[in-house]
Amino acid sequence: MKRFNPRWIRWVAGLAIFFGGWQILAAKEDNPPPPVSGSPIHPTFPLLDENGENVLSSGQNVSATKTCGSCHDSEFISTHSFHADAGLSQMGPPGSVANGRDWDTSPGSFGRWNPLEYRYLSPNSDPIIDLTTAEWIQTFARHPGGGPAEFNREAQLLGLNSSGQPNQTNVENSIVNPDTGQLELWDWNASGTVEMNCFLCHVPDANNEARVTALASGDFDGATTATLLDTALLSNSESGWVWNQEAFDDNGHLLQEFVTLQDPTSASCGHCHGTVHADLATPLTLNSYTAADYSTQTTGQLVSPQRISESGLNLSGKGDLARSFDVHAERVLSCTDCHYSLNNPVYFQEADQQRPDHLIFDPRRIDLGEYLYRPLHQFAKGSSAQSILASGLNNTQRQCESCHTTKNTHEWLPFKDQHTTSLSCESCHVPELFAPAVETVDWTVLQTNGEPLISYRGLAEDGATQFSAAALLNGYEPILLPREAADGHTELAPFNLLTAWYWVYGDPARPVPLRYLEAAWLDGSTYPAEILTAFDTDQNGRLSSAELILDSDNKVDLLTRRLAAQGLENPRITGDIQPFSVSHNVTSGEWATRDCQTCHADESRLTQPFPVAGYTPGGVLPVPRPVDGLIWGDGLITTDDGSLFWSPPTAAAGFYIIGHDAVGFIDSLGAFAFLGVIAGIFVHGGLRVLSSRQQVKKQRGTVRHVYMYDVYARLWHWLQSTAILLLLLTGLIIHRPTLFAAFSFPLVVQVHNVLAAILVINAAMAFFYHLASGEIQQYLPQPRGFFNQAAEQAIYYLRGIFRGDPHPVEKTRARKLNPLQQITYLAILNVLLPLQIITGALMWGVQQWSDLAIRFGGLPFLAPFHTLIAWLFASFTVLHVYLTTTGHTPTAAMRAMMIGWDQVEVRHLEPEADATSPVGD
Amino acid sequence: MTEFRSTWLLGASVTIAIIFLPILLFVRLDSTAAADPWDNVVPTVAPTDHSALLTGPFADGPAVTEACLECHTDAGEQMKHNVHWTWESEPLLLPGREETVTVGKKNQINNFCIGIQGNWASCTRCHAGYGWEDASFDFSDETHIDCLACHADANLYAKGTAGEPVEEVDLVAVAQSVGRPDRQNCGSCHFNGGGGNAVKHGDLDESLYFPDETVDVHMGRHDFQCVDCHTTQDHQISGHMISVSPLANDTLSCQNCHESDLHEDERITSHVATVACQTCHIPEGAARDATKVEWDWSTAGQDLPEDPHVYLKIKGNFVYEHNLVPTYAWFNGNADRYIVGDEINPEQPTNLTEPLGSITDQNAQIWPFKVHSALQPYDTVYNYLLIPRTAGDGGFWEEFDWEQAFLLNQNDTGLAYSGSHDFAPTEMYWTLTHMVRPKEMALQCNDCHGETGRMDWEALGYYGDPLTWGGRVQQFGLSAANQTEGGEE
Repeated sequence: MKRFNPRWIRWVAGLAIFFGGWQILAAKEDNPPPPVSGSPIHPTFPLLDENGENVLSSGQNVSATKTCGSCHDSEFISTHSFHADAGLSQMGPPGSVANGRDWDTSPGSFGRWNPLEYRYLSPNSDPIIDLTTAEWIQTFARHPGGGPAEFNREAQLLGLNSSGQPNQTNVENSIVNPDTGQLELWDWNASGTVEMNCFLCHVPDANNEARVTALASGDFDGATTATLLDTALLSNSESGWVWNQEAFDDNGHLLQEFVTLQDPTSASCGHCHGTVHADLATPLTLNSYTAADYSTQTTGQLVSPQRISESGLNLSGKGDLARSFDVHAERVLSCTDCHYSLNNPVYFQEADQQRPDHLIFDPRRIDLGEYLYRPLHQFAKGSSAQSILASGLNNTQRQCESCHTTKNTHEWLPFKDQHTTSLSCESCHVPELFAPAVETVDWTVLQTNGEPLISYRGLAEDGATQFSAAALLNGYEPILLPREAADGHTELAPFNLLTAWYWVYGDPARPVPLRYLEAAWLDGSTYPAEILTAFDTDQNGRLSSAELILDSDNKVDLLTRRLAAQGLENPRITGDIQPFSVSHNVTSGEWATRDCQTCHADESRLTQPFPVAGYTPGGVLPVPRPVDGLIWGDGLITTDDGSLFWSPPTAAAGFYIIGHDAVGFIDSLGAFAFLGVIAGIFVHGGLRVLSSRQQVKKQRGTVRHVYMYDVYARLWHWLQSTAILLLLLTGLIIHRPTLFAAFSFPLVVQVHNVLAAILVINAAMAFFYHLASGEIQQYLPQPRGFFNQAAEQAIYYLRGIFRGDPHPVEKTRARKLNPLQQITYLAILNVLLPLQIITGALMWGVQQWSDLAIRFGGLPFLAPFHTLIAWLFASFTVLHVYLTTTGHTPTAAMRAMMIGWDQVEVRHLEPEADATSPVGD
Repeated sequence: MTEFRSTWLLGASVTIAIIFLPILLFVRLDSTAAADPWDNVVPTVAPTDHSALLTGPFADGPAVTEACLECHTDAGEQMKHNVHWTWESEPLLLPGREETVTVGKKNQINNFCIGIQGNWASCTRCHAGYGWEDASFDFSDETHIDCLACHADANLYAKGTAGEPVEEVDLVAVAQSVGRPDRQNCGSCHFNGGGGNAVKHGDLDESLYFPDETVDVHMGRHDFQCVDCHTTQDHQISGHMISVSPLANDTLSCQNCHESDLHEDERITSHVATVACQTCHIPEGAARDATKVEWDWSTAGQDLPEDPHVYLKIKGNFVYEHNLVPTYAWFNGNADRYIVGDEINPEQPTNLTEPLGSITDQNAQIWPFKVHSALQPYDTVYNYLLIPRTAGDGGFWEEFDWEQAFLLNQNDTGLAYSGSHDFAPTEMYWTLTHMVRPKEMALQCNDCHGETGRMDWEALGYYGDPLTWGGRVQQFGLSAANQTEGGEE
């Protein structure tokens, strides 16, 4: 083993803490296994009990706050931690929690009801008590101690009232006798309280199971000690804890190699927050969920660097998923790299709003010693839909953009900024989740083991209520819902939707306590005859999960009666949908959603209805739970078979998905105009053909060759027509990519943009040409006789043309356009073209000048408008081409536009000096 | 009419050009075609059918060779420079030495069966020649080159003592079967190095005869033959490394076909200067068949229960390992070499093939090695490693008498024996460079970095995990330039 000299130690200590690298150094020691290698930095220390005595001599339980408190300010730590507080400090009367349920009393797990854990921490004022504080501690073992496990709602130590005297029987001093439902005094002196458990997160091989067992058994004081059980320090015997004497020196201090304290690893967080599997060598398997898998169970997120293809999941198509579950875990990040202590001088960064504009980074921060003395245990967090505790710390964690830039990596993505504004990074980078996630929790029924019916998404078997390592998984794509991001703009972000049904009673409502529910449903561990008669359709004496469903009024009435019989007032079923944000299990670009037509198609990923439930217990439709900034829309869809879906409100939230969204009446109107023109042409053209057969060729006026269009006029015309034609075609493909799936969507979008640029440039140059050459006059109607001539022209098209009459308006070099053409072109060039250019430029500009585009209504307005004008252009183009056939001969005008020389009938025989040469240019 | 046509044709082309040139200019295609590694694979030429050309009869091996040389007139001279024939390198100046030495099976030792001197007839089974049974073998005699070992159908051919074809072989049929060497030609010797399948290399064994892609992506997925990579010109075969080629200066590398910057991920690309392709793409050695990692000669000669993977009376104790995690070391393509007669320190392991390079050597990369450790005999007076007579006449494998084995071999090896021997620890480093796995099986970040990483960073010269401590550029201020190409061989 390497010997460090003191200076070296100090130097290493500084740097190691600086990089949060304790664990890396700890791993460096390559001593053979027994026991564990110690931290080279952390000083040795004695283990103290709550009186500050060495546990070796006192034989008492170890107190982490006393032990660690010798050097660290453990009171500061446990009073500045939302993990410990769990909502205690924000407790209020039932229903006072913003976005909470009617009976929630705090935003944390101490007071906020959730349908997976179901039990309700009752307020003192309730006549029927479900959970008391003591039983909450026993049940909600995900709480690390401190906060409500030490102090009551009057901020006194548990067991004392506000004047420091032992309290009366109330929810904080008692426990519910399950048989009588009465409160009985809880002996806090015997149980002790639960201090904030430093070891749970800071000891590498902390024994969480032993801790949970100690808590459940009511041994609150012993929970901290239990956390060290079966480590190198402590074992259990019949006579109690046995400390490993070998681990301590003569002074009762731990030997250096037994000082294994660490920065919390992902596994530490995994004790309570979800499935963490850091081991690459052992294939990850999922068998069932426990309370400690909460985040995995509710979202399907799990933290593992393992390649999915190498995991032990029974996942269909696994072989192709040669990517890790979580790229950040793969890249050797741990939870604390993002969820860091908020006064950690390495990570801490003032929020933009609080930082003066002239600063990007404030180098003045607490020094390492201060941090180590008082490390703030408020951790940087995001703002998930499910967690509303410590909302003041929302988005203190750096966002994806704080570490990543889309510059240089998303250049392939057309309209990059538009995409990154409309979509959270997770929308594409968490394309799918592979662990099963709860879809519905149905507490309206109860299984004989006292559990509700839970169905999972991500299982191949539809509506499966159980999963095991053998169940075939197929993963699920989270729903994308619009939600306000940290910077206040609304973007789509992925969620799981967890729908719960349960009984409530009374007014104001309370969830029916589990013991009442059990009494209504069960006789011990079997169903009573009355229940079986109503539910057991196959009469085999058992209720399968298919039978266990409140699908008729009779069944609902039966249970209502059985609940009411226990004295519950107005028992009724209620259901709600809770969204759970998905922000972990990010994958790298190669595996992210990147195919345009995933979203830009008829079947858009963004608007796909998301399965919510396969049935509705008691016919009660679930109500979406309000979440700050989340736009639910009105998306609940009930299908014919009774399944429920939620349709993402993308359009309602102001998203216009090109290639998917189309405004029906615009397309109808446009198509009507277009088809109308075609129909008109057929009729008109048909009549012309018929009439030309019937009439004898009239002697027409002299035909003269006139040099009608010079080179530039023809060039700009054909450029414009090619551009318009191609723009119409590419536009159509962009509008309906599913119909034209053979074309590459991103390619067509780019071609469309380039063509638009050509069109605009060409139009500008042509405008200049017309101004400079004076040709502009061609388009300007002459006020005198204009209406008469226009009428004459119209009559000609309606009548004269069939009789072979001469054109009413002579086409000359100086006057190429008849009045109808003048007014049409004027409208096209002054109204349609500019509008199309402006709407198109703004649509392109949602990328560059999104504010401007939004001021003009954003894509939801611009895009349909652009489509409408495109339809009109298409109609005009067809009409225009048809009308070119009305010249001297059907192809004369077309030919003239090609070679410049036109054949025109001459009625007035004044020679036109410049245009009689038969020679072309 | 022509005038009309020419005008509108001209107009149309100008219009189309004005429209399409900007499109071609400004529209970017997502996928830029990556360089195709297949461009660098030389297609196999169908072999010439020799059945009409070589009708025999052939009295012996050399008779076949004479027939070959009638047409392939240069082949004999070319083969004289081929180490498969010479078993000896050109003179090399190894680091720290003043005089050049030659290195090869002919004159140096390893820590498996040790050395061929005095044991020729047995060892030269794998020599590409006929009749090397003692020191007097004539390397200038082209007719004793064995063409068949590499070019004949290996199913029809087998070599015995001193490299002579075994009696049962039908030389006419064998001669008529010649063609391009396939995996069996190479494998019959190279897969059995060290005395049996998979013993020596850790990345070459009989699982490569019919590998699936999880053993070797080139052979398993793309049906490569050895010579597809070991391209050969005038019988000079590319690709040799370390043990018998310490100063390889070779031209065979992954980059012959693959671009160095082919990884889409910049994080991985930044590793290429420091980490050999093999390091990530050969996560474990001995993917299927276990390879020998320890050999203790000191226990040989006892009457203990025998198990070819645990103990043999003639050889001593072994340890085999399957799926072995490689040892990682800096390697710039060159290696030091223990030369017969060098003095050793018997207290410390003597590295017979020490890879050269260090963290500050810009041409060095971290490479994966199989390390073979042994206890092998040395002379306690002269302090050099001994070459016992084993398979040769009166050798240890017959008599189990170490004294006799050393004494008998004094003349053949030139190593005087003091009469006192013991066993000293030695090591050999073998590069792992075959059995490249598909990219889906390559190492991931956590395999090396983080708490559970497999790298011993301090041993490699880092302060700690470069993920947090910075790499060699930061540590030593080395310029990052000029690294991507270096150190491949």
